[in-house]
Amino acid sequence: MSDEPSTSTGVLMEEEAMQLIAFLVSASELCIKEPTYYGAFRLIDAASRLMGFMLQHNPSRTSEFLQRFKEEVDTKKVWMMFDRQAYFDFLQSAPAQVAAEVKRLADEDLASQKETPA
Amino acid sequence: MSSTSLADQMYEVMKTRRAVRTFTDEPVADDLLWRVVRSARWASNASNRHVHKFLIIRDRDKIAIIRSFSPGMLNAPPAIIAILTDQEAVQREQLQPGDNANDIDIGTAAQNMMNIAHALGLGSCPVTSFSKSGVATAIALPPHLTPELLLMVGHPQAVPRQLGGAAPKPLSARDLTYWEDAGRHEP
Repeated sequence: MSDEPSTSTGVLMEEEAMQLIAFLVSASELCIKEPTYYGAFRLIDAASRLMGFMLQHNPSRTSEFLQRFKEEVDTKKVWMMFDRQAYFDFLQSAPAQVAAEVKRLADEDLASQKETPA
Repeated sequence: MSSTSLADQMYEVMKTRRAVRTFTDEPVADDLLWRVVRSARWASNASNRHVHKFLIIRDRDKIAIIRSFSPGMLNAPPAIIAILTDQEAVQREQLQPGDNANDIDIGTAAQNMMNIAHALGLGSCPVTSFSKSGVATAIALPPHLTPELLLMVGHPQAVPRQLGGAAPKPLSARDLTYWEDAGRHEP
């Protein structure tokens, strides 16, 4: 593990992590008997629950993204019940949004390293 | 009240009820919960067997734990009515594996509760996507009680669906009905 100070802060309490583990393990059990496309729903909902926990701790670098993305996920995930094609289209577009945020963080870190004298 | 208007009122309640998955923080009064749950007593029930019990849960910490083991519970409701199968009653009534009347009785009880909840201005949503062993253990149910369905109950919070124009149209009663022969939608 690096000795470099992290720019990130803790975003998940132990109890919240356990709740997420409970959700994922329960969802695994349900995937045995539920329609296969429910599996995708459980994963995107798990992402929503994780974002909800994180937002309670006001993460310093990602709050704005998480707020916006969680709202979009919570609106569009339930399209699974009303407009499945639109729901699948959303699932296919969602990773690019996360990737853009991950890249933004990486770019920020890179810029920060360049500014720090050796 | 004429029988026609009573039928119209009942149909209106049934037609306008929706699965409500988002609730305000307002607690549900005990009196309202009781009015909801007592309606389950009068649901149609195979051979008057009554092998189910109804557990009302209002404690927010307990609800949070239940939700952890309930992927089908998209938000935390202020109250849950859990329909439980009493395995001692199942033995007493000599129910056999594969007897689906038990499942039907769970459904009729849930439907009664959802309709009366809607008539009372409450929202509700049945949840069956949960880990039975996880929920039973987390809330320390005795071994003879099996959770079958979790009914979320609360004061509804409006959530716009924001569906696009290409969303499929809702099915009509006619779409689902055949007269005399399969495939024939007219009387």
